[in-house]
Amino acid sequence: MHTYELDEQTVFNSGHNACPGCGEALAVRYVLNTMGPNTIGVVPPSCIAIICGPQPYSSMRIPVYQTTLEASAASAAGISRALKRQGKHDVNVLAMAGDGGTYDIGFQALSGAAERNEDMVYVCLDNEGYMNTGAQKSSSTPYLAVTSSTPGGKPSDKKDITEIMAAHRIPYVATATVGYPDDLARKVAKARDMEGMRFIVVLTPCLDGWGVADDGAVRVSRLAVDTGFFPLYEVEDGERYTINHGPKGIPVERYLEQQKRYRHLDADQIKEIQTGVDHRWSLLQARAESMARPVVCD
Amino acid sequence: MSATATAPRSSPPANEVQLAGDMRLLLSGNHAVSYGAMRARPQVVPIYPITPQTPIAEKISDLQLAGDFDVDLMTAESEHSAMSACITASLTGVRVFTATASQGLFLMHEMLHYASGARAPIVMVNVNRTIGSPWGFWPDQTDSLAQRDTGWIQYYTENGQESLDTVIQAFKVAEEVLLPAMVVHEAFYVSHALEPVTVPSQERVDAYLPPFDPVHKLDTEIGESWGNVVNQDMFYRHRKDLGTAMNQVLEVSVRADAEYADMMGRGYGILEKYRTEDADMLIVAFGAMVGTARVAVDMLRAAGKAVGLLKIKLFRPFPVEAVRAAVAGVPRLVVMERNFSPGGGGVLHQELKAALYGMPDPPAVHGYLAGVGGVNVSPKKMVELAEKALTDEPVPDSVWQR
Amino acid sequence: MSEVTRKPTTGPAAASPGEVPTIWTTGWTDVFNTGTWRAATPIHEWRPSPCHADCPIGNTIPGWIADIREGAYQEAWLSLVETNPFPSVTGRVCHHPCEGHCNREVIEAVVGINGLEHFLGDRALEEGWALPAPAESQGKRVAVVGGGPAGLSCAYHLRRLGYEVTIYEAREELGGLLRYGIPEYRLAAGVVDAEIARLLDMGIEVRLNAGLADRAALESLEAEYDAVFLAVGAQQAKILRHLEGGAGAGRVLDGLEYLRRCTEGVARDLGERMTVIGGGSAAMDVARSARRLGHQVSVVALESRGAMPAQPEEIEQALEEGVALFDGAMVAAVEAGADGGLTLKCVKVTLDLGAPAGELRPVPVEGGEFALAADVIVTAIGQDPDLAPFNGAFGDGSSDGSSVDGATGGFVECAVLVADPVTLATTRAGVFAGGDVASTNRFVSEAIGAGRRAAYSIAEYLSHPDACIPERPKLEDSVNRTEVNSFYFEFSERRERVVAPAAERLQAFAETISVYSTEDANAEAGRCMSCGFCVQCDNCFVFCPDMAVQKDPSAAGAEGVAPGASECASEGAPPAGAAVRVVAAVPCVGAPADSGPFYFVLDQYCKGCGLCVTECPRGAVRLEQVNL
Repeated sequence: MHTYELDEQTVFNSGHNACPGCGEALAVRYVLNTMGPNTIGVVPPSCIAIICGPQPYSSMRIPVYQTTLEASAASAAGISRALKRQGKHDVNVLAMAGDGGTYDIGFQALSGAAERNEDMVYVCLDNEGYMNTGAQKSSSTPYLAVTSSTPGGKPSDKKDITEIMAAHRIPYVATATVGYPDDLARKVAKARDMEGMRFIVVLTPCLDGWGVADDGAVRVSRLAVDTGFFPLYEVEDGERYTINHGPKGIPVERYLEQQKRYRHLDADQIKEIQTGVDHRWSLLQARAESMARPVVCD
Repeated sequence: MSATATAPRSSPPANEVQLAGDMRLLLSGNHAVSYGAMRARPQVVPIYPITPQTPIAEKISDLQLAGDFDVDLMTAESEHSAMSACITASLTGVRVFTATASQGLFLMHEMLHYASGARAPIVMVNVNRTIGSPWGFWPDQTDSLAQRDTGWIQYYTENGQESLDTVIQAFKVAEEVLLPAMVVHEAFYVSHALEPVTVPSQERVDAYLPPFDPVHKLDTEIGESWGNVVNQDMFYRHRKDLGTAMNQVLEVSVRADAEYADMMGRGYGILEKYRTEDADMLIVAFGAMVGTARVAVDMLRAAGKAVGLLKIKLFRPFPVEAVRAAVAGVPRLVVMERNFSPGGGGVLHQELKAALYGMPDPPAVHGYLAGVGGVNVSPKKMVELAEKALTDEPVPDSVWQR
Repeated sequence: MSEVTRKPTTGPAAASPGEVPTIWTTGWTDVFNTGTWRAATPIHEWRPSPCHADCPIGNTIPGWIADIREGAYQEAWLSLVETNPFPSVTGRVCHHPCEGHCNREVIEAVVGINGLEHFLGDRALEEGWALPAPAESQGKRVAVVGGGPAGLSCAYHLRRLGYEVTIYEAREELGGLLRYGIPEYRLAAGVVDAEIARLLDMGIEVRLNAGLADRAALESLEAEYDAVFLAVGAQQAKILRHLEGGAGAGRVLDGLEYLRRCTEGVARDLGERMTVIGGGSAAMDVARSARRLGHQVSVVALESRGAMPAQPEEIEQALEEGVALFDGAMVAAVEAGADGGLTLKCVKVTLDLGAPAGELRPVPVEGGEFALAADVIVTAIGQDPDLAPFNGAFGDGSSDGSSVDGATGGFVECAVLVADPVTLATTRAGVFAGGDVASTNRFVSEAIGAGRRAAYSIAEYLSHPDACIPERPKLEDSVNRTEVNSFYFEFSERRERVVAPAAERLQAFAETISVYSTEDANAEAGRCMSCGFCVQCDNCFVFCPDMAVQKDPSAAGAEGVAPGASECASEGAPPAGAAVRVVAAVPCVGAPADSGPFYFVLDQYCKGCGLCVTECPRGAVRLEQVNL
């Protein structure tokens, strides 16, 4: 039987303001408790900012700076550079932003920081929409998902932030989710111990925004992986792919049916989503395979 | 206190003073800023290029490459990110400098509030440039004046030497009151004009400006987090504290300038009275127009007209008491300024009127929108405008003049 | 020139005294009582597994399987013999109802619990592990009448509880059905001998050839002992009267008699062709023994194959061994056959579902007649207890009414000695009864379970300071399939004990099934989901977004230290290790005394989301609504 081996340090604190059963709070736990106390954090407006706690209390036993929605990566870069100038090369810098602050408004700063290979771990806690403001769509919202700004279902696909970040050829890019906490913690630890720009996108179900039961965050995020909707993988230096967890032959419908935001789908739409999932999975496999092969020049 | 708000000065300003170890260089206003920044020893400079600020960044890069300026120059992908990095680097406990202009300043606008709210004593030079649309590259103060509510200290300088000295002083003031400071000079008239500039010796600047070592900072040994959500009462107190700190700037700035003058031989005050004795009227100006006004005043005095000059150097906080004292007994003022707030008029004109409101026997105030958009205002033109102001009845609104 | 008014110094460099800073934090959120949001609260509770609920002996199966997983075989065995002193026997012959509702089926197949028991039982015999020593003497004596599984089990538990026990056995050897009713190829005599010998080593007196002859003998036991347990079994074969006369005279044999003859080696002279009537294990035992002795064998059973009381693997192996099965059929009449044998007039039947419980009422299928040729008929349709010696000692509580007449339609449940279903007490004070004499639930494990229950009941009757009748959990209270989280269990094929090929089996009476290898046992133990039985996997701890599930027992129910409290040099921050009140710590309910570290829930922080309940792989945490 499966058990988790997790080496936690106590950074994330009880008494925070996350909703009961919040997937993001669980992700924050494993991100912070893996990064450890020798870390300075940056958080933009988001559910994470709420979880941080009301002044003068903090749920995170590390210094955290709350920046603007578009500035997480730049703010983290400022800390990182200041630390270097202070000779504090062993202090980790961690940005934790939502998908809005990463895929959308924060993307420019993120891309810039990636291009400069700023020394930080950037964790996107991806709940696929602007959940803190009442569940509007972001560019991370998946195709056909209902949000308060796409009541008929989102007409466009989810942005593939993982591949975009990998294309920056930064040292480390990974996907993770709370349903696989050991995988998440391992990736955070791996990222922590590297240098330069490290990016992890963590799928964190929003119970309210997705329409999931209070006890469902882990189940749903696991189904996202097990159906192939959100494969867990790593890309090092933009080209070394490692697939950690892929689809286990479970139809994507099992994932969709757990969530009210997909309740309106008809059979054809579910089939269309399945086709998309299958297609992206085959592309990922092909990419992993071709990138793994050494280039032979005659 | 011994320091005074108004520098006693004879023409020309004492910018030719050179002490042992000083360098005397022919520098543009922007390059003078780069040297001033170098002497202040900021450790991180996040910056993004924009005309007419670019020579500042370029010279810092050159000085860094030459090994004269030990700094981490972060070439951000936008002004917004540059300012974001400035704030956190400052809060982490290192001295931070940056520079921008016009649209760049506007892109920073959101972060300017974050900087003052977080009490990050960043020093930034803004090179005044017209704001779009339409596209233009001309001297105009509207960009920085539009930031006057951001909680930044604002100094307006008239030449490269003053910009250099003010950058160093600004760190001193900012780090004491924990507010960010903006040193503003105008595009081309100051930024690109070459003049002999004295660069004070590093030893003396080090003696003047000790290393930045804040008590509260982002530090894993301390564990304080910054900027968590507050309730109404805390927000009220936070803004009030910010106002209190801003009020302190008046006194701290005067003291910092006096100390600087003692050590470097050059001081500026937070405002300056030039040939104001027994004046019937004072020209009130800030920025590059001050230099022109000095010549115009000399011409007017030579013509037997009792006209003096009041230079406003510190614009935020606005030195109300010092201004009232400086204009006491003067029957008439004429503001000549290179900025325009649509629906409001000249910003200095408004600020000045507000400062004088309720003063016993206040002077009549003319507001002339001269030089908006970088239009040249020559000494001759200024004399012409002053003569007009001596006879015309002042009207409440600012008046377009060219 | 003007003097600049000096303003009061406030702001970050010298924050307003007594005021909370507005821009940097001074403490941690663990001062907040987010537990007040809760509408439900998780409770760690050791709940019965379905295998436990289904075990007639009341064995806490996941417990000893957990020990096997850790390689602690002797501990596992010691846990097993807490309830069952005969694991090597039951590992072979138990009908293993424990596997009937095993939740592992949601993954691939039920766990081979019976095989694991077999493994542990044999390992114990190989290693010579001794049973636990008896407790301090209670200074009282109990007579156990009958040395079969029920009597031996009762004697074992009484001895463990500190009683002096004397077993009265009518035959020349102990074992009862284990020795005389189960063929060697299923249960070798050596295994029975060894497990009984080990039991007797605890200090139990045995009187062989000492059956209870009459009511006077019972009364003299009552006088001599503080309590009596009657476990004399059911030795009288039910008979089918309609077959016994006429052509069938002298050619109808009962199953017990046949099996006895087999052990004596004199069964071969019965004739070539045998028809066995019956659908239970005894019928299969007869049929398969007969095959080993060279008979052609057919079996006629009233039930259809799926409903036959015999274990599916027994039926399958019988068929492999060449037994012809006529299920859903009965023998209506016997006639003389042309070849000197018998012709059995048979008919296909269905069972009347409306018949009273315990009664089989076959309904002939029209046109379903067929005939079988046979030389001998063996009936294996059950046995009745011989209640004659009691001679009304139990009043109306016993009767002799076990006639069965297939031709006239009623297959009446046999009469048994009536005992209280909970206490096994009879109408005579101090006399208890269990096993086949008092039950129609004729399984070895039921008898062992009854013996255990009787022992504790007798102890209660004798005012033992600690003993009480073990409560058998109900299946409906056990962890069901919706309560286990299948994610945590990977597909792992069930290990099967190796069964010898049929041709080989037919050569001799040697045991046909091999014991698990250690590797197989470990693998099979690894398949157990440990339903309701916390194995400290930490999932409840791991998946709490509020860190409200903690596992340090020292903080339970007391003033605790804030979890994660660490040095904080910040001004105004709570000092390191600041006490945070653990409002209520809810420890595991029903945890075994030696269960080691356990989890508790910090009332102050638990928001009641139920993630710990859902992610518990085994249903050992439940959610209880909070009454506000």
